Amino acid sequence: MEKACIDINELVNVFSNNYGSVYQSDKLNCFYIDFGGKFARYNCLSLQKLKKVVEDIDIESLLLNTKKADFELVTYNGCDHIYLLNALEIIALKDLLQGTFTMFKLNHLISDCLYRLVF
Amino acid sequence: MKDLMRIKCLLSQDIETLLNQQIKKEAHSSSLYLSMASWCNQNGYDFSADYFTKQSEEERMHQLKLFKYVLDMGGNAVSPEVTGIKTEFLGFREVFEDALEAEIAITQSFKNIAAKCHKEQDFVTMEFLNWFLKEQREEEYKARRALELFEVIGEEGTGRWEIDKHVNKITYSED
Ligand SMILES: [Fe+2]
Repeated sequence: MEKACIDINELVNVFSNNYGSVYQSDKLNCFYIDFGGKFARYNCLSLQKLKKVVEDIDIESLLLNTKKADFELVTYNGCDHIYLLNALEIIALKDLLQGTFTMFKLNHLISDCLYRLVF
Repeated sequence: MKDLMRIKCLLSQDIETLLNQQIKKEAHSSSLYLSMASWCNQNGYDFSADYFTKQSEEERMHQLKLFKYVLDMGGNAVSPEVTGIKTEFLGFREVFEDALEAEIAITQSFKNIAAKCHKEQDFVTMEFLNWFLKEQREEEYKARRALELFEVIGEEGTGRWEIDKHVNKITYSED
């Protein structure tokens, strides 16, 4: 299913780590996150929101608080997807999203140099 | 690969975050001035109450100006939560000391955003910020002049009554 989606929509792999991948579709102007057994579609805004939600999770308190479960629900208002993740998975998702946005920045710099600057 | 984030929005994530923080600061200033207006009114300083009410409205306008810019550039403008507004002041003078302190903090905040704009070469946002940087001249001037009235007139006798009457007359002209 995922493989088919990647092929049909000519998805570009933006960033991957050991736990998952983020793809971009230039055809549909959207992104796909392959993580936690889910292959989920996002647009620009929802991807930014997800990143913020994940970055705002206090992982230290999650690990130290003995009265709480070690799992956290990762989602936000209006998000189509819900992730139930433990602390390590949250760290992995955070790494995946931060890596993705770093690649966006890099791609932006390259696009500026190659296509937008006229000398 | 398309530069999708840039296509969606002119602002970088960092600048967008800073502008949203500024929206929150302006909202905070607006609420603080309103709180000062309330205190002044209850303590019989009617002219100062009017002055701070007007200032509060101005801060609200600043907030909306930033809000509109973020949205116009394709960003996500966030309506801020404002908490922890000071409601008790030790005296008439402290109100004005706090007002100047708040304006200095706002000026500093705009300088930080401007520095970031220079670093990123975001001259579009820089040009937008110029209006605010200029505005801070006036805001700080007015707050400083008001506080100086306490030195010039003095608080003894009918001093505070006199100061209150003068606060509303402070104006700034560039020339
Ligand atoms: Fe302001």
